[in-house]
Amino acid sequence: MRPFEYVKPKDSKEALRAKTPTGAYIAGGTNLVDLLKKNIAVPHQVLDVTQALSDKITLKRSGIEMGAMVRNTTAAINPTILEQFPLVSKAILAGASPQIRNMASIGGNLLQRTRCPYFYDTSLPCNKRAPGSGCGAYNGENRMSAVIGYSADCVAVHPSDLCVALAALDATVVVQDAQGKKRSILFKDFHRLPESAPQQDNTLPEGALIREVYIPKNAFHKHSAYVKIRDRDSYAFALVSVAAALQLDGNRIVAARLASGGVAHKPWRWLAAEQFLAGKETNATVFAEAAALAVQDVRPLAHNAFKVDMLKGAIETALQEALQA
Amino acid sequence: MSMSESYYLKQQDTEGRVEARAKVTGKGKYAAEYTVDNLCHGVLVGSTIPSGRIIAIDTEQARQVTGVIDCLSHQNRPLIPGFSSAEKIKESGFGLPIFHTDKIHFKGQPIALVIAETLEEALYAAALVKAEYEEAEFDIDFDKKRQEIALQESGKERGTLEAWKQAKHVVEQSYSIKAEVHHPMEMHATIAAWTAEGHLELHDKNQGVNNVQQVLAGLYQIPKEQIHVVSEYVGGGFGSGLRVWPHVLAATMAAKQVNRPVKIVLTRPQMFVSTGYRPASWQRIRIGADEQGRLLGIHHQAMNGTSTYENFNEGITRVTRLIYDFPNLKAESATVPLHMNTPTWMRGPGDCTGDFAVESAIDELCYTMQKDPVQIRLDNIASVNHPDNKLPWSTHFLKECVTQGAKMIGWEKRSSQPRSRTDGDWHVGYGMAVGMWNASRGKASAAIRMTGDGHMVVQTAMTDIGTGTGTGMLNIAHDVTGIPKHQIHIELGNSNLPPAPSQGGSTGMSSVSGAVVAVSNALKLQLAQYAAKSNPGFNGVSADEVMLSADSITLPDKANVRIAYTDLWANNLLGQIHVEATSEPGEERKKYAFCSSAAHFCQVRVHQKTGKVKIDRMVCVADGGTVINQRAAANQMSGAAVGGIGMALMEEQFVEHKLGGLIADDLAGYHFPVNADAPIVEVAFIGKPDPNINPSGAKGLGEVGIIGTAAAISNAIYNATGKRLRDLPMTPDKVLLATPS
Repeated sequence: MRPFEYVKPKDSKEALRAKTPTGAYIAGGTNLVDLLKKNIAVPHQVLDVTQALSDKITLKRSGIEMGAMVRNTTAAINPTILEQFPLVSKAILAGASPQIRNMASIGGNLLQRTRCPYFYDTSLPCNKRAPGSGCGAYNGENRMSAVIGYSADCVAVHPSDLCVALAALDATVVVQDAQGKKRSILFKDFHRLPESAPQQDNTLPEGALIREVYIPKNAFHKHSAYVKIRDRDSYAFALVSVAAALQLDGNRIVAARLASGGVAHKPWRWLAAEQFLAGKETNATVFAEAAALAVQDVRPLAHNAFKVDMLKGAIETALQEALQA
Repeated sequence: MSMSESYYLKQQDTEGRVEARAKVTGKGKYAAEYTVDNLCHGVLVGSTIPSGRIIAIDTEQARQVTGVIDCLSHQNRPLIPGFSSAEKIKESGFGLPIFHTDKIHFKGQPIALVIAETLEEALYAAALVKAEYEEAEFDIDFDKKRQEIALQESGKERGTLEAWKQAKHVVEQSYSIKAEVHHPMEMHATIAAWTAEGHLELHDKNQGVNNVQQVLAGLYQIPKEQIHVVSEYVGGGFGSGLRVWPHVLAATMAAKQVNRPVKIVLTRPQMFVSTGYRPASWQRIRIGADEQGRLLGIHHQAMNGTSTYENFNEGITRVTRLIYDFPNLKAESATVPLHMNTPTWMRGPGDCTGDFAVESAIDELCYTMQKDPVQIRLDNIASVNHPDNKLPWSTHFLKECVTQGAKMIGWEKRSSQPRSRTDGDWHVGYGMAVGMWNASRGKASAAIRMTGDGHMVVQTAMTDIGTGTGTGMLNIAHDVTGIPKHQIHIELGNSNLPPAPSQGGSTGMSSVSGAVVAVSNALKLQLAQYAAKSNPGFNGVSADEVMLSADSITLPDKANVRIAYTDLWANNLLGQIHVEATSEPGEERKKYAFCSSAAHFCQVRVHQKTGKVKIDRMVCVADGGTVINQRAAANQMSGAAVGGIGMALMEEQFVEHKLGGLIADDLAGYHFPVNADAPIVEVAFIGKPDPNINPSGAKGLGEVGIIGTAAAISNAIYNATGKRLRDLPMTPDKVLLATPS
């Protein structure tokens, strides 16, 4: 770990002003500390934003607003979230471990780096860590890698569970740039695909802070599920995960949302399957057809062909669980 | 009923570990936690290539970092006498001659050590050390490399292969297991300090202080008495502490070089390449039975990975000779040199690997024959004599374990037809397997120091790596002497104490219990001798006749014969009484064969659509002879069973085949089970003493909890799904993609 200057700004204004080009914001530190220890992040300055950013959850007329500094655990057990946005709680609780969730912030969760093993070892090639060094996983050990939306330059997947739920629920991310200007970014536009610049995970402007995450009100609270398939039942990243949410009128699906983790560089929405489900009756055949539709665009790599069948199974299971929820 | 039997059957202690309070309050110190004056910190730098030669190491930038004291490498290290020539290096048996070679055998091999005032400074500087290499070809793909290796006979052939060629039922299959890493919770660490007189003081994590003493004495060519090793509290070992590893030597070299105490704590990624692992293995089994289900023969072939600088054969086919009386048996094995660090013993070494294949193959055979796996075990287990050396088993209760386990799990609920029970989207199934381990015993010594207030300290050099050794010693000392437990204190893990073998191979309790019984009896006799001076009633009494209470020496059969310790000490002008005794195996080893054994049963659910496996119930019935402490013993079994879940379902050291090293080498990438992955393990013991093994009748339980677990789980998955998985770990992807047979 390289020595760095530690500062703790009082508010967001001070944080934005104090940050130098080689500085890094730290909130819960559940990812950045790993990156510091492994010499992957080598900032000269670390700005602790735990005091500078809001830790409030506010129910507004049109949706719910979570301050960037709300801890993951706080969000997962918040009564309003449990009642009106239970998918968010389910996704959070499927991730990490209780200790990590107690520390991790909502804003930080969006900004966590991939868990691709090539990214974490400075002796291995990785375009995300060292642009131009190549993608070790593309032709290497890629069991955990992406199956859709990747490029030859990067096959890493986004590790978050929360973000899968936020993608499914059409959240927006409120950011404030270095000049102090606030704006909203649609969740689907927040995380990027790797293309030829995998070093950029997202569209957060240089030096900017996430201030809030906003989820519009929806009618999915009665029927939602988060299914995560992993090598062990806690503290493991997804082989594949599925967030499913249904708005029903009797047996008829009014609207459906389907998103996945463990498959792409960003949380992935299965839009064609969602459209297929709208207006259909809820039954196993319909769910299986939707799952088949979702996986038809998937292009697995050498070691992760299993993700096709697993994803299909997880989508069917998530829809079934959402129905019963 | 013998004396010892009546004694130990009443043992159902419910109090916690003797070391529990010290551990949970932080008062008990692990190796890295000792405060040593003038301490500095060492951080190892690993090779970034898997094979080749170091051309140059550039430490210039590292040396610029504030606080850096020195950088050690093969270019400037103090010469270790035991490494002064290539022959001596070989003779030493140490393995990797750290900092005494420019050859690279594996990625992560320590090539330099940065020593600094603080850990932070050393860590930062270590990242700035640069090395220039001449790279060479490497072998890291076990499955590819093994195809170039020839098998060799492993032990004597029994009967012939021809004899059962026409067996009615034959199964022939291959099995493979990925490498697994021990990962005890406490990272390996050493604090080394040389005194002005050339004595070496070590605080070290290991499983045997006398072994560390011996190995370092050999390398430095100094008397072992000049080396003092302290390992009072050890946070798990699983076999990783049975050898002295290069980082221990690096700390001693650094301490000499900078003439200050040096501490090295391995990082978790360094633990993957520094303290051994269970090697990757491949096995092929051909097994046959007659019409009645009598096992006729087995041909067992096995290979395991090793390093290019040492040969480690895991002993995979050993267990094949132990459990069943195959009239015909042929075993072959080989090791496969790879550019990796040397593997080592890991819980249930060899046997747990071999047992997975043998017990899976027998399960397959049972389905072929349409016979009950429980019945086939009961019909074929060699319960009278050791199948190889024909010595009678001293005690053998594996069949009883099987019967009791079947009852506990409700084996009758199992359908003999695979893939015939479902619960929603889940397939449900049952499986079982058995495991066995040669019960050994080493020579061990123990001492007691007693004062006139009736308090005593029981001491031995043996470490307690978390198995409950100290607690067991307390139980035995209390039972034999009669002194209340709260007046007994236990001291362990220090080479100044009476010598004892390393704690490994399920021999710890078996070895040390004899010493504690012997020294407890010695204490009673010594006190009786003093007592006889004032009360002739104590003249010529045997140890069995004497009991010690909280405050007096008594003869329980003579109610009025009693002398208070205060009087005894005053009359004889005693200070501290010190007795020491040694106990070791003897002639009984020529008369009997000894074993521990266990039967494992489980009930699993397998999700049809995602391949997820959930273990709903796990039953483990073991014969380890006398159960000295119920809780500690049960804890050994359930811990090992959870280790078996890891082996079966998730543990895998990931290899980067193209670039030649490990990947995902941290605890986010290497998965071992958490509580969510394991049910409450239902443990039961036969609990009958072995009258011949040692004075306590305890045979050791460290290994049998894991030997058989993986096969029981795999067999249950087959029963649930009709999918036979022969490659461990059985992760959801493999389970999902396998085709039902």
